[in-house]
Amino acid sequence: MSLVLQGVASGVVTGCVYALVALSLVIVYKATDVVNFAGGELVMIGAYLGLLLLLWFQLPYIAMFALVPVAVFAVGALFDRITLRKVGGRALAKHVDLVSFVVATIGLSYLLKGAVRVVPFTEEVRRLPPLFSGPPVFIGDVVLQRQDLAIIAVTTMIMLALWLFFERTLLGKALRATSQNARAAALVGVPVSAMRMAVWGLASAIAGIAGVLLAPKLLMTPDMGAVVMLAFAAAIIGGFSSLPGCVVGGIALGVIQNLVGIFISPQAIAVTPFFVIMLVLLFRPEGLFGESLALKKV
Amino acid sequence: MLEVRGIHAAYGAVRALEDVSLSVGAGEIVCLLGANGAGKTTTLNCISGIVPVTQGRILFEGEEVTSERVDWLVARGIVQVPEGREIFPGLSTQDNLELGAWTRRRHNGRAAGLERVYELFPRLKERAAQRAGTLSGGEQQMLMIGRALMAQPRLLMFDEPSLGLSPILVQQVFRIIRRLHEEGMTILLVEQNARMALEVSARGYILENGEVKLHGEAGSLATDPQVREAYLGA
Ligand SMILES: Nc1ncnc2c1ncn2[C@@H]1O[C@H](COP(=O)(O)OP(=O)(O)OP(=O)(O)O)[C@@H](O)[C@H]1O
Ligand SMILES: [Mg+2]
Repeated sequence: MSLVLQGVASGVVTGCVYALVALSLVIVYKATDVVNFAGGELVMIGAYLGLLLLLWFQLPYIAMFALVPVAVFAVGALFDRITLRKVGGRALAKHVDLVSFVVATIGLSYLLKGAVRVVPFTEEVRRLPPLFSGPPVFIGDVVLQRQDLAIIAVTTMIMLALWLFFERTLLGKALRATSQNARAAALVGVPVSAMRMAVWGLASAIAGIAGVLLAPKLLMTPDMGAVVMLAFAAAIIGGFSSLPGCVVGGIALGVIQNLVGIFISPQAIAVTPFFVIMLVLLFRPEGLFGESLALKKV
Repeated sequence: MLEVRGIHAAYGAVRALEDVSLSVGAGEIVCLLGANGAGKTTTLNCISGIVPVTQGRILFEGEEVTSERVDWLVARGIVQVPEGREIFPGLSTQDNLELGAWTRRRHNGRAAGLERVYELFPRLKERAAQRAGTLSGGEQQMLMIGRALMAQPRLLMFDEPSLGLSPILVQQVFRIIRRLHEEGMTILLVEQNARMALEVSARGYILENGEVKLHGEAGSLATDPQVREAYLGA
């Protein structure tokens, strides 16, 4: 029993990271209809930038934690500004070819991986120091590392902030408006291409933070962006359009993975996300939180 | 107030407008009529800065505004109520309206603007918290007009506001247009419903295949035999 509880608790922790990356994917998708295949690499460069700032520049952890999202924001925003806007031509053209956007994100993913590989610093496998070190915390029979608690706390704060931003601020509403109807948004005078850039920046910053949170828990390699598959699964559980859906999807996936590891076999963990994706797409393609497909057409 | 001088526009190889000129004086209602595909929407979109003008000029209050950015033009007071149901379906009615005031977000008087829209459209006030996507077609049309008013337009352009509405709602939309005119608004009205459009307008332009074919006083257009045959079904 305590094994199961422990599995659930650490599943929630990893699930929080999946949820953050899923949020990053879904925010971009909702705003621009582009599936961002570089989402995982944004996580990865977030982690490496963190490492660079801590070890190379000897910055304190807090400063690193504040700078990484800013830097990754810039990467995402510049990618949109330099690449996507060129690929898309005029933002208001009626038929933008989504395939070329998606291919551009694949290009970005290789570019980022390549850029990290050429830095000599990354040849050694490294580990990012945790946000808080110290003895683990016991909650009943469940043991959590301090880093785990930090992950849960930071994730909760980001989610609250996102919720407030999208529901309560005019800028947040303008971003939602742009994603729901770009034409109408342009007509009321919302600068649509600046909004897209902001969305890319915001989503990238979230992925970067996820990288900083995740890196202490795994060995860092330029391929750690593979975590994006789990984020895709989480987002699909949530219907790929709902932000709360990402959170629930991410946490559910983290927990399911651990339970599969305990009850079925540790080898089965790797296929779990794919299995979950297939099940959701078969039985509830709109996800657990997605709006019914008919309503989305409006 | 608005002067369009010989504009041309094209979508790739498709020529949409050729040498279109028109003007709207301050406080005037002018209508732009024409069959489907004549280029009415394109004309409005050129004025709004959404479709690029390849030749010709657009002047607003004596100032050159050709090819300015949409957001700048909206802030300047050129606001369009687009064709169809161009709302933000997932946002509440009130949020839709507040976004209409986006270019006025640093100014005061947004609350007063909202009050005024609710006074014009009491129905929208009742539906303030409802998701705009679940409003009826007529309510969505009202919402688009209200949203445009939130930007405090100096020139308000309507693109087929009566499209797809029941006769009673069409009457209501035209009542609103008339009322805005009486309060001094300058209006450029694109309509398929030529009869009602000519009734409220002082002057009209008739567009055919991207060119202005006729223009003149609304009264004389309404009695012009060609217009009567082609647009008034008489
Ligand atoms: N985005 C576009 N891409 C290519 N061609 C277009 C586009 N929009 C309009 N056109 C073409 O330009 C011409 C003028 O279209 P426009 O929409 O301005 O007509 P309209 O007078 O508004 O018609 P309606 O009464 O049907 O709304 C048409 O031949 C149309 O097919
Ligand atoms: Mg039209």
